[in-house]
Amino acid sequence: MEAKPKRSLRLFIRDNGVPIMFLALCGLGVVASGKPLGFLLQETIGRMARNSFIVLSLVVPIVAGLGLNFAIVLGAMAGQAGLIAVAEAKVTGLAGIFTAIAVSFPLALLLGWGAGSIMNKAKGREMIAGMILGFFMNGVYMLVFLFGAGTILPIKDPKMILPQGYGLRNTVDLQVIKWALDNLLKVRLGPVSLPLATFAATALLTWGISKLFSTKLGQDMRAAGQDMRIAEVAGIQVDRTRMVAMLISTVLAAIGQILFLQNIGTLNVYDSHGQTGTFAIAALLVGGATVTKATVGQALLGTFMFHLLFIVSPYAGQNLLGSAMVGEYFRAFVAYAVIAFSLALHSLQRGKMAIRR
Amino acid sequence: MRVFSRLAMCVILVSVMLAGCAQQATPPEPGPGPEPVTTPAFKIGILTGTVSQGEDEYRAAEQVKAKYGDRIVHVTYPDNFMQEQETTISQLTGLAADPDVKAIVVCQAVPGTAAAIDKIREDRPDLPFIVVVPHEDVKMMEGKADLMFETNNLERGNTIVQLAKDMGATHFLHYSFPRHMAMELLAARRTMMEEKCQELGIEFVFVTAPDPTGPDGIPGAQRFILEDVPRQVAQLGKDICVFSTNCGMQDPLIKAALQEGAIFAEQCCPSPTHGYPNALGLDVQGIAGDMPKILQAIEEKVVAEGGAGRFASWPVPINMVFLRAGVELAMKAVEGEIELTDEAAIKAALEAEAGVPMTLTKYSPEGNFWLAVMDSVIFGKK
Repeated sequence: MEAKPKRSLRLFIRDNGVPIMFLALCGLGVVASGKPLGFLLQETIGRMARNSFIVLSLVVPIVAGLGLNFAIVLGAMAGQAGLIAVAEAKVTGLAGIFTAIAVSFPLALLLGWGAGSIMNKAKGREMIAGMILGFFMNGVYMLVFLFGAGTILPIKDPKMILPQGYGLRNTVDLQVIKWALDNLLKVRLGPVSLPLATFAATALLTWGISKLFSTKLGQDMRAAGQDMRIAEVAGIQVDRTRMVAMLISTVLAAIGQILFLQNIGTLNVYDSHGQTGTFAIAALLVGGATVTKATVGQALLGTFMFHLLFIVSPYAGQNLLGSAMVGEYFRAFVAYAVIAFSLALHSLQRGKMAIRR
Repeated sequence: MRVFSRLAMCVILVSVMLAGCAQQATPPEPGPGPEPVTTPAFKIGILTGTVSQGEDEYRAAEQVKAKYGDRIVHVTYPDNFMQEQETTISQLTGLAADPDVKAIVVCQAVPGTAAAIDKIREDRPDLPFIVVVPHEDVKMMEGKADLMFETNNLERGNTIVQLAKDMGATHFLHYSFPRHMAMELLAARRTMMEEKCQELGIEFVFVTAPDPTGPDGIPGAQRFILEDVPRQVAQLGKDICVFSTNCGMQDPLIKAALQEGAIFAEQCCPSPTHGYPNALGLDVQGIAGDMPKILQAIEEKVVAEGGAGRFASWPVPINMVFLRAGVELAMKAVEGEIELTDEAAIKAALEAEAGVPMTLTKYSPEGNFWLAVMDSVIFGKK
């Protein structure tokens, strides 16, 4: 057992400012929303099941020193390509999910490799590079599915193709795999139903990530994340390690997006991936993670609190201010203000630490 | 493992708070008590955008809320609805979580609606959904919603030209630009207009205007309209009906048509509040949302400037009609008075809200998706 230094309450609050503030906000929001406990728990659990996997996919690149991986959008796109294939081939149930994963896997590897190569060339600017890469690939993705579907890609289902004969419709019904994993093992506890199989997948990933960090590769990632130069001197192949981290993250994001969409049940071909990056990152930050430090626990805690706040804040706004519309603005204001605050607080803390050194 | 214990602690803390507040929050809600609440026996849930996404729908929801009070539960979807589908879903499931809510009206049905309907139907398979302006794939939505409404924009290709003819037009001038003409619906409607003109013996004129998203922006496009309408009137005469596919062009189009004595049959998105108030310099303060008063104010101004019988619009924004009629239909359906598939009841409800006759077309024979066109009001027509 390591000897724990005695920490004052003030230090604890300073180090966990964002999660504490979010917890307080969640508490207030829950009280103000006036919604019954069962409903809130059910909604939060549903969103945890949907989102945890994607948020967890962000942990590895942070540890490897790549910062917040905005390029998980690429993984999400690969996942969606897999789902489109499954919807066309009508592979149902769990087999559908595994087929989607199998189809998206090589795509995710390819995209992850591309992203990793760019990240290795843009050291120190990974986050903005990842974000712009996401925008760029979004264009490629649009091109592929707006013009390639039905012409190069053999998609024939008239329910998926636009009447002009090429291009995917903006929504693809994922009835074939809808809730395939969620309903595999569903347990009802009073008003709340728990999709245990989905949580088991998340738990498996949690365990996998913890195990990864105790291997040689994981240690290399940590070392590269702390100081690339020293790691290099110590004989670690930094570029290769970073590449592996990107590959893992992109593949996990692809699987995460598949799990997310099997729960939603419809794929918005041109927009579904747009929301993955930002919200997953926001959730992670809310859990107390920073650009340089993230743990599995922070990811799960952040997902829980971020989504709880998103659920309660429109009701809280409506109840406190008496207008449906103001409730919506209140939600947007609170949610994004807190994200901005957590980023600002992080840089403030970093500044202070630098001064202390 | 320290993080797990911290996580567990936080989860427990929030759960305790949840439990605490749930007990506090229950009394004010007339919710699922053991004894049935007397009246109102049920509620109708409404989901609309905020005023920045669609003022008509929001105001219509406010109107029904004012009419029925606590029997209406009104929530909004996020402004950023493309990125925040999960919020749309949880807003809808939130409505359905109240067992007193017996029907839900969604206007407009932004992405996430289909997923929310599926999720809600898991627990409440009988909850009826009335869906206005589906954004997600229509074929898919048809299988999920109980009743759907949308404007029949294609059919307007016929009705607008017919109206122009009735108002005495000999020429029909269609302003648009390549980006719009690459949209399937708008291009098809233009072709329909051209054919209808031929049928009625009207000369169809197509003029390419600058794209408002182009380098000159909306001001450039508006300036073009203000300059081009007088040119066209000078060349082709006053009996020319002007039309544009772009919202930003409606103000200058109405203004120029009124000044030059041309004809204006309908806006791109027909509503008394679209284009007319700005073009005529009307102050709608105090009468916002009150369509009869706005119509009267427009009529007075149009007649005063010599445009009587040559300017028209739909009397009410159609989404307002859809939402209000949707709520009325939902209430009657819950009370067991009508079925949501009853065509006569649907038509009657829509026309009662619009105040003018409406033409309804079914999208596909097996579904319950209605495309509607409203009759117009011609200002200053005796």
